[in-house]
Amino acid sequence: MIVCVAVVGHQNNPLYIQSFTKADDSLKLHHIVHCSLDVVDERVNNPKKSGLIINETFLGLLNPTENYKVYGYLTNTKVKFILVTTDLEVRDADARVFFGRFHTAYVNAVSNPFHIPGKKITSRKFAERVSTIVKSFGLSSSS
Amino acid sequence: MAPAAPKSGDVIFASVDRVNAELFTLTYGAIVRQLITDLEEVEEVNKQLDQMGYNIGVRLVDEFLAKSSVSRCVDFRETADVIAKVGFKMFLGVTASVTNWDADGTTCSLILEDNPLVDFVELPDTCQGLHYCNILSGVVRGALEMVSMKTEVTWLRDMLRGDDVFELQVKLLKQVPEEYPYKDDE
Repeated sequence: MIVCVAVVGHQNNPLYIQSFTKADDSLKLHHIVHCSLDVVDERVNNPKKSGLIINETFLGLLNPTENYKVYGYLTNTKVKFILVTTDLEVRDADARVFFGRFHTAYVNAVSNPFHIPGKKITSRKFAERVSTIVKSFGLSSSS
Repeated sequence: MAPAAPKSGDVIFASVDRVNAELFTLTYGAIVRQLITDLEEVEEVNKQLDQMGYNIGVRLVDEFLAKSSVSRCVDFRETADVIAKVGFKMFLGVTASVTNWDADGTTCSLILEDNPLVDFVELPDTCQGLHYCNILSGVVRGALEMVSMKTEVTWLRDMLRGDDVFELQVKLLKQVPEEYPYKDDE
């Protein structure tokens, strides 16, 4: 199950963060997202060591903790998408598909003329789309 | 002999020059956004958009008549039909439907189910009074005024405010008789 998704701006400022758990552990999830940003920076700054292909937006698994797996995605405008999931068996291909759809939703949200680039995403439509994407993945992985 | 009025604008739409839809949408969005920044009052923005639309309409009608080769409309019903089927298709790429005629045949509604201007757009809470597409009502008003019809065009429904379609009410106020600026004996 996907428990948290986040959009982080190029100065590591949070643009959108949403957790999908009933329990009151959003602070913990925020902390996990925060920690993973360092991993993103490290991968991007040392592309050779981490074996990252240049021009590849999908960063792969960032840091597996006991209960969570964290995946990252970096757009060409240096906006980071972070995905936190409790599924232990996640295929990279699934994560790629997720980020592909998430990216489309993000692009549509920032195309709103009333959105100010670099500011938080307040769009309700975006929130709805994200939760739809998250739900569709929750179903496919549990079945 | 005048050619018969085309039933739809599809043929003309296929032949006119087009621009990328997203470029168009984003350009219009930028204009509205800038107007809000400059004028600050939402009501003023509505007025300004309407005025801009009017100025477009008075020019656009000539291009419309030249390219679409529609013949003279016999009544206002036919006019509304031509606007909805040919005009909107030609310049906006969508077709409107005409409904809600009143008994006199002077008021009707143009229903737009799809509107390329509002892709991506979501009104923030501070701009709830904004008629985002007010430029369209101005265009219709301006164009009709140039073919001697005084109209009043208002938005009744707006998808950005949670309605299911866009509804543009067109009310014919009066038909101005065509006047020649000179007398025959001069």
